[in-house]
Amino acid sequence: MPDRGRKDLDPMIGLEIHVQLTNSPTKLFCQCKAEYRQYPPNTNICPVCLGMPGALPVVQLVPLIYAVAASYALGCKPNPMIIFTRKHYYYPDLPKNYQITEFEGAHGAPVCKDGVFRYLDPNTWEWKSVRIRRINLEEDPGRSTYDKGGITRSPFVHVDYNRSGVPLLEIVTEPDLRSPREARALVEYLLLTLEYMGVMNPRLEGAFRVDSNISVGGGERVEVKNIGSTLDVEKAIRYEILRQSKIIETGGVVTRETRHWDGVKGITVPLRHKEEEEEYLYFPDPDLPPVPITPRIKRQAAELLRLTPADVYRKITGYGVKREIAWSITLVPALAKLYLRTVSLAKDKILAAKLVGVDLKGELKEKGIEHPSENLLPKPETIARLVNMVIDKELPYDTVKGIVIPRILDNPNSTLDQVIPKKASISEDLLIKILKENRRAVCDYLQGKKKALNYLVGVVIRTLGKVAVDPRELRNIIEKTILDNKEYFCENNSVTKP
Amino acid sequence: MVPGQLPYWKTRQRYLEGSLKPSEHLEEIFENIEKWEPVINAYISLRDKEELRKASKQADKAYMQGTARPLEGAFLAVKDNIMTIELPTTAGSLMLKGFMPGYEATVVKKLKNAGAIIIGKTNLDEYAMGSTTEYSAYGPTRNPLDPNRVPGGSSGGSGAVLAYGGADLALGSDTGGSVRLPAAYTGTIGLKPTYGTVSRYGLIPYANSLEQISPMARDLIDTALLFEYMAGKDPFDATSVDYDYTGLSERIREGLDPSTLRICLPQELFEHTDPVILKTLDRLYGKLESQGATVEEIKIPVLRHVLPAYYTIAFAEAASNLARYDGSLYPCRNQDAKSWEDNVIGARTSCFGREVKRRILMGVYVLSEGYRDAYYVAASKIRRLVKEAMLSATRHCVISSPASPVFPPRLSETLDDPLKMYALDRMTVTANLAGIPALVHPLAYTEQGLPIPVQWMAHPFGEELLFRVALLAEKLIQNS
Ligand SMILES: [Zn+2]
Repeated sequence: MPDRGRKDLDPMIGLEIHVQLTNSPTKLFCQCKAEYRQYPPNTNICPVCLGMPGALPVVQLVPLIYAVAASYALGCKPNPMIIFTRKHYYYPDLPKNYQITEFEGAHGAPVCKDGVFRYLDPNTWEWKSVRIRRINLEEDPGRSTYDKGGITRSPFVHVDYNRSGVPLLEIVTEPDLRSPREARALVEYLLLTLEYMGVMNPRLEGAFRVDSNISVGGGERVEVKNIGSTLDVEKAIRYEILRQSKIIETGGVVTRETRHWDGVKGITVPLRHKEEEEEYLYFPDPDLPPVPITPRIKRQAAELLRLTPADVYRKITGYGVKREIAWSITLVPALAKLYLRTVSLAKDKILAAKLVGVDLKGELKEKGIEHPSENLLPKPETIARLVNMVIDKELPYDTVKGIVIPRILDNPNSTLDQVIPKKASISEDLLIKILKENRRAVCDYLQGKKKALNYLVGVVIRTLGKVAVDPRELRNIIEKTILDNKEYFCENNSVTKP
Repeated sequence: MVPGQLPYWKTRQRYLEGSLKPSEHLEEIFENIEKWEPVINAYISLRDKEELRKASKQADKAYMQGTARPLEGAFLAVKDNIMTIELPTTAGSLMLKGFMPGYEATVVKKLKNAGAIIIGKTNLDEYAMGSTTEYSAYGPTRNPLDPNRVPGGSSGGSGAVLAYGGADLALGSDTGGSVRLPAAYTGTIGLKPTYGTVSRYGLIPYANSLEQISPMARDLIDTALLFEYMAGKDPFDATSVDYDYTGLSERIREGLDPSTLRICLPQELFEHTDPVILKTLDRLYGKLESQGATVEEIKIPVLRHVLPAYYTIAFAEAASNLARYDGSLYPCRNQDAKSWEDNVIGARTSCFGREVKRRILMGVYVLSEGYRDAYYVAASKIRRLVKEAMLSATRHCVISSPASPVFPPRLSETLDDPLKMYALDRMTVTANLAGIPALVHPLAYTEQGLPIPVQWMAHPFGEELLFRVALLAEKLIQNS
């Protein structure tokens, strides 16, 4: 880690974030599916996305709406027209050997330019800004896989075109970021924003990739490509800052180059030197007339911004909820929606936040479900009623947390009556009968072995069968009964008061 | 055109009268093909005879039952850069030898639905890059009117089969004159439609912003009829537009009052033209004037720059379009390749012809960083000026010009001099740069039997006007 005191080595970090619009029903220029992951290789294809000669790209509506919505979300005014250009490079998984994108230098027009995006950095709880240079809408290439030996030794490359043509947003920031954690916070917040809009699922494999430009101490910038997770964004940038700082410290000069993030080894490795600009032969795609962004597209795009993470977080903190809990809820859109529907019905919004953002979320995590679908979650009325019962002292909070919530998650269809423990009711005669049968444990307990009480609680619950009772309450009853009748159980023993 | 060949609409009349059956007409076509193909080499592939006979019998039945569609029993030749499911589509290149990707051009689908029967795929300059049909990997096509001469290109195969009677109707593609030059050289008709009126889906691209699949036929009525069933907006081509041409082939028979006609002759399109051609054109313009038409010479100086602008844009788009042929998804591969790069280089080296390589190299050059502004961007500016000038000129007149500055060159005459070949397109590229319709048809024949054609250009969607003017010109010149 570079010493924080040395201002002259403060890094400048810019990001290029490639995001697949995984929720689009179609690819960008044909009607194949954008969610390609479920298909066997080369079955989600057509002449258009295979780049066959004579097949022509036709811009599909939904990716266009999503792209315009993203430009709104990133504080970036959409261009009146999108103008597509061709970018040429030879690569096995690029079937036309050019990619359709929008390059301004060749009279293309991107989706939008010059935005300012505000994001929450939960490391400091500050709202920060990053300038957005532009957003491009472009097609994803296919996927190459290699046999044993990898890219260098495999005799074949296997190409799967199912991904070819999937709509991709390329979001380019200015180099406004100052630390690896800040960069990671931005990417996480951006992905969350897109998830709230319903345009993508960031947890799908390969749903986003990040390239980063990093320069230290005003030196040349180095581009690091192929970063596939938000954790790796932080790790790759941290590594690169360290690498560059060491060069500068030892009197060297950082050269402009492109490096590749090796996530397994946790290092960046040189890819190619940017001694000269690549030659992409850009020109406007003659198959695609400029695409006007119509009022209808804008309207449909604006509708996707009804709920943003900022709205949710501010609303929740506005109720007086601690920011950690508010953020914890905001991070899971399904929980946020549940919470926002709960608060109007609940007598205590802060308690509701705790139930949703800490207890429910914790229990889900225990089950390995970090992003539940809505049908896995309790209804808002259920959470609200639990809150109200706790407030009205009808139910202890511990019971809600320890029993009710786990039971609801086990069976989301169960009614509250089925999962709230009954008031423990057991006739004294029956209880005494059971205790007599377990006289030894009772004596153990009376002699100070507190654990024996747990055993007795268990025995009683088993005897009562499937009736839901609150074990805590039952424990109190058993304890009281034993103490009230201790001579009766342990007449021959001296008794030490527990 | 070789004398004695009927246009389709007259054949159709005989079908309707019952004096000829499609299956009988097919045998006539087979005879012509057997007689001419060994010399002319206009077809790259032909459908199986029995398959065709079966299809023609279906057409027989349709005429007998009175259910014949407008193009029922029309035997259609398709340029081999237009996708068909019946036959491979090679684009005249080794790169696509035997290529059958299993989808067909929208236009082909429409014509089949109207009753047309595909008979074969016609020869062309590789990827439509040429003006003589000599640059085909499947050998040159010769001109049926004089086998020592070229049939024009790149749709030379389609022009030739129409000329000798190897098909009733034909599809070509016109990027810079590629149906009009063959029409001019084989005495047939070629229409380059308004850009966007005909779907390009299924046309192997050479220069997308310039080209259209284009109708070719033996007379004007046929050409209008074929075009009528090709046109229409296609949801699979974003550059296609909606314009209703229904009834075109009927309406154009109504004729045209010459006194309403204003004809403009841009002097730039008459320069360096063979005097025999000029003389015939002058005779035509005189006739039209004597019938009350206004004929005026105009100047559109920017037309002097159309050739370099056209070729710059066409080469740029070609270099891009042909990048996909890298030896992976297409028939031509380098089997001995040791690496992916090796395969790309091997396939492109061995399976592209000389002219294609030349155009790719020049296309890459004009798009390169540092040269793009001087070439591609400059050419686009000229194109804009040409378009503005032509839109303005065609607002109040029909433009007329020669179709070619010269008579068909002899085989190999232009092979060693690409600039000489490029110059053949001097009269035709303007319509492609401007996106306006242009029609070429023969006016007369020389003593040696070579056609003397004329070209007409009109405002966008002005095809009907073009046909009416052409029919009038044909009538006036034949009656003189
Ligand atoms: Zn597709």
